Amino acid sequence: MSHFTMETVGWEPRIPPVDAETATPQQLAALEACPPAQRRSTYFLTLANDPGSLGERGALFNAVMYAPRGLPRAERELATAAVSIVNGCIYCTSVHARRFAELTKEPEVMQRLLDEGFSTELSPRRRAIVEFSAKLTATPGELSGPDLKPLREAGLTDLEVLDLIHSIAMFANANRLMQSLGKSVPPPSE
Amino acid sequence: MADTEDLAERLLGIAPDSPLAVLRTERASIRQHSEGAYRELVLPAEPGGVSLAERAALALRVALIERHEGLAAHFRALLQQHGDAALLAAAQHFPAPAGADRTALLLRYADMVAVQPECCGQEDIDALAAQGLSPQDIVAVTQLIAFVPYQTRLLAGLRALQEEASS
Repeated sequence: MSHFTMETVGWEPRIPPVDAETATPQQLAALEACPPAQRRSTYFLTLANDPGSLGERGALFNAVMYAPRGLPRAERELATAAVSIVNGCIYCTSVHARRFAELTKEPEVMQRLLDEGFSTELSPRRRAIVEFSAKLTATPGELSGPDLKPLREAGLTDLEVLDLIHSIAMFANANRLMQSLGKSVPPPSE
Repeated sequence: MADTEDLAERLLGIAPDSPLAVLRTERASIRQHSEGAYRELVLPAEPGGVSLAERAALALRVALIERHEGLAAHFRALLQQHGDAALLAAAQHFPAPAGADRTALLLRYADMVAVQPECCGQEDIDALAAQGLSPQDIVAVTQLIAFVPYQTRLLAGLRALQEEASS
């Protein structure tokens, strides 16, 4: 059985998060650059210990996941869930699998992907996105022009491909941060 | 010219009037903050408890782990400017030294976060704190180590787009 889930997974930091009540102006400014829904999450408050990097990295993350037009948000979530599976990050997988399910209203598609892995049945466009995500994550040095062909055949535009690359790259970062600065706390098993 | 060249443009030779450069202007904020995060992590104005030489050494090591020669050469040149020959040698030596000194600890932490972050435990973070790293330093070091894998995949993806355009 797969250990990945769409249920809410907790995250416990290994260093004390910043207290939003006593945060410095610089820490608060850095948090303001982060996606609004996540500004007060334990994870972002932990990163706020170093406000310089959080401000830039939070703004980067926000643009990668939420910039208008280009790759539909659900497909950014699909890519980041796929990357998180390859990297074994249970917390990130749960968050982005859930967002994909909410945006598409197709939780069964994501559940199958979590249970059966990337060989599960997917539409050609989703298959192309998942396989490109896995390849760029696992073997970036082997990527070359022809690897974009399945994406083009599935109809991705230049901007959509660029957004996909940004999403995949962002989670090479996010998965490593999340797994080292804290630990996933899975939901109680049945 | 509105902007100076960013690291990706320099390393990949993306010409300002090329289709890829034009495409990237549609995501100007990502271009800006990719460069901003890089500078904030590797070249911060206030490096705090982690020196600029240590930052360049960690970035170099992760670029080597990721087998990205262009990034590695960039960080190696940066570390050479800081003039710490012992650190330059240590950062490029695999496996990382087993000692309990600060450099050995930082290099082993870089290897773990870059390659198998799932193996990180409370004791690894506590060991950094015991070497005098503050919570801010620990976050900065981890952000830096985790940022080079972002750069590697960004560069690999942009290069694939370049290759596609020229084929």
